[in-house]
Amino acid sequence: MLFNSLDFFIFLPVVFVIYWLLFNKNLKLQNFFILMASYVFYGMWDWRFLFLILASTIVDFIVGQFIYNNESKILKKRWLWISIVFNIGLLGFFKYYNFFIDSWIDLVTIFGYEIKSSWTLRIILPVGISFYTFQTMSYSLDIYYKRLTPTKDFISFATFVSFFPQLVAGPIERASNLLSQITTKRKFNYTQCKEGLKLIIWGLFKKVVIADSIAPIVDDVFANYQNYPASTLILGVTLFSFQVYGDFSGYSDIAIGTSKLFGIELMSNFKFPNFSRNVAEYWQRWHVSLSTWFRHYVYIPLGGSRVSKLKSVRNIIIIFLVSGFWHGANWTFIVWGAIHAVLYIPVFLMGRNRIYMNNVVSENRWFPSIKEISQILLTFSLITFSRVFFRSESITDAFGFLKQLYSNFSFEIYEHPLGYRMIDYFILLTLFILYEFRIRRDERAPFKFKSKIIRFIAYALVILAMLLFFDDNIDRSFIYFQF
Amino acid sequence: MKKLILKSVLYFLLILIVLEVLVRVFHLAKDTPTRFLDESKVEKWVPNQKGFSVTGNRKQNFSEYHINQSGYNSYREFTPTDDKIEIALVGDSFIEGFHQNYYNSIGKKIENSIPDIEVYEYGYAGYDFADQLHLVNAYKEQFDKIDQIILGIKFSNDLNRGKYEVVMGRLALESPMNKLLKKSKLLVYCKSIGILDPPQRLMYRLMNVLRPNPKKRELNKQELLQIKKEKETKYLANFNSLINEYGYDKNRFTLLLDSKITSPFFLSYLNENGFNYIDFSVYFSNSNKSTTLIYDRHWNNHGRELIAKAISKYLIEKPYLKKND
Repeated sequence: MLFNSLDFFIFLPVVFVIYWLLFNKNLKLQNFFILMASYVFYGMWDWRFLFLILASTIVDFIVGQFIYNNESKILKKRWLWISIVFNIGLLGFFKYYNFFIDSWIDLVTIFGYEIKSSWTLRIILPVGISFYTFQTMSYSLDIYYKRLTPTKDFISFATFVSFFPQLVAGPIERASNLLSQITTKRKFNYTQCKEGLKLIIWGLFKKVVIADSIAPIVDDVFANYQNYPASTLILGVTLFSFQVYGDFSGYSDIAIGTSKLFGIELMSNFKFPNFSRNVAEYWQRWHVSLSTWFRHYVYIPLGGSRVSKLKSVRNIIIIFLVSGFWHGANWTFIVWGAIHAVLYIPVFLMGRNRIYMNNVVSENRWFPSIKEISQILLTFSLITFSRVFFRSESITDAFGFLKQLYSNFSFEIYEHPLGYRMIDYFILLTLFILYEFRIRRDERAPFKFKSKIIRFIAYALVILAMLLFFDDNIDRSFIYFQF
Repeated sequence: MKKLILKSVLYFLLILIVLEVLVRVFHLAKDTPTRFLDESKVEKWVPNQKGFSVTGNRKQNFSEYHINQSGYNSYREFTPTDDKIEIALVGDSFIEGFHQNYYNSIGKKIENSIPDIEVYEYGYAGYDFADQLHLVNAYKEQFDKIDQIILGIKFSNDLNRGKYEVVMGRLALESPMNKLLKKSKLLVYCKSIGILDPPQRLMYRLMNVLRPNPKKRELNKQELLQIKKEKETKYLANFNSLINEYGYDKNRFTLLLDSKITSPFFLSYLNENGFNYIDFSVYFSNSNKSTTLIYDRHWNNHGRELIAKAISKYLIEKPYLKKND
């Protein structure tokens, strides 16, 4: 079920009302109900893959108990490995099997051998598998590292794994945050629900108006890059930056807002990454839940930055390559990760990777300084460059795109593939950037206006924009579902 | 919770009102003229209406229409006499041309290229060949004074029936309920951009939830060919049935068609039996610019230019125009 579908707009109020009116007095029943609702939410896409979620839930529930109850370190480790092998095994089979087989075939072909590609399978990638496997693994890992006591309540744990707002595309929650809220009695909170609704509206705006309306342009530019001059290619990849941001952060906002309606706070996933002043800050603001996951469970166990510089650099490279590979079974994502490692390492070596951790651009000023604008533009350009690999279908296409950029360095006015006025999009994006800059201090309060009237006008304009840019012919699924 | 629901409903209603106002202020939704059935059972627009037709979201195409005394979208009134040279264009929405300013229609373009003639555009969305011949027959007196009658025809669409009957489905759009719904410009806009399609589909799904779903069988090539043949035969029979009923003056009547989407079977029938037709396919295929609106399959200004050119070229050869030369 998509957040931007009619099904969801019927599903959400029904679940919300039953959740608070019928089951408010009994936490166990409330959790059971939300679990069933989550399974319905997921099952409407493909009920068969519910068994995978259930299997992952059962394995980590049992593993968690055994890790906690075993005194022997070796046995604890063995149980942890069961969780890791099972979850990575699921991912490996459903997401990476064909990639490894194809890469193996390509490799042996280089050495003159020929293998028939009959080993590749027609596998459907279960939606959200990369997200919920990481979430369940984090539970076992936290118990192993003694950060968490396992729950004995299977329903609560299953709800933690399958909580529908964040099941298919995150934010990837740690048990210490989400599970503890699920096992605690929740009270209906008007302000929290109000904030949730505002986030849902803002998330829908980002998805429908920003991401979906730009999508046909991006699709056209990347599909026909051979025919376009550099100006169009730059336009295409720049718009892709906004598309992927609008799509994924929009999803996260709807997920966080929906959770609020059920009295649960999810972690922030996007903190205005487009205003980052260097690549390190970008990664503190983009897909925060994934970066946090990798930092906690890969980077720090490898030694993080507390080891020698050389080893720290190695750790950075590992984390970015793994992060790239997490996004998809394609060399393009690995190269994308490698580019980010290359961009991050100099910032790290200069000791500038944490300087913007606790502040936003022009913190106490209305406008950014020239220096800040230059930093933002440079960072945005570098990130956008890396997205050529993120968006291209294959490595060949990505290099073809870059080659075309270099060999056909000219300007040409681009016409929208569906005939729409391009000026509409430029105005839209300019207003969007300015508005995001205005609200940059708090990603959870998109409509922070003192005046009720102005706030109301903002709601009306956002909804009007949705009506203006809605296009029935556009594929409305979320980009991150494919990861 | 009560407070949340009440406030949400209140905000929802207020936003609807604001959106209704904004849609009206920016004229995002199309105006729809009122239709009616006249005493001769000809369906047409109520005379003397004006408004704007809007296509696509964000007003991608915006044009003015003007329904004349005769009930058709045209800048001129239809007053045929024996002295003037008049041409009638009869057809569906392509001739009706709500997608163009009424003073820049195909008829006007023809008049610009051939001075001293008057072009009457009897276009009405949904008119098929039966509607067209019924109209010509119902207003026989008028049409007899018109020198040339050009009937727009799309073989696969316009010959579905061999007898004229009033299309009640179109007139149902004038039901009190529909009229009431059309009063909300926000609703009209939402419908036009497809936002209301998912709820409509859901309603349909719910209404048919208990009905068994007939399984569709994939047809093979042979069967598809057989169906095509049967349809072509039926369409030709309908064509003959209609011209037999209403009469067809081969000297004054001309078909306007695109041979690329017309069955060769039908084309050869027309050729063998001396039916005149204007084929605009050559003009369209030679054009390196798009001939249709991008978000709508109707002809754009360039497409209309080409149609006008094709018709003008055909008319210029006619004796009544040659005399004038």
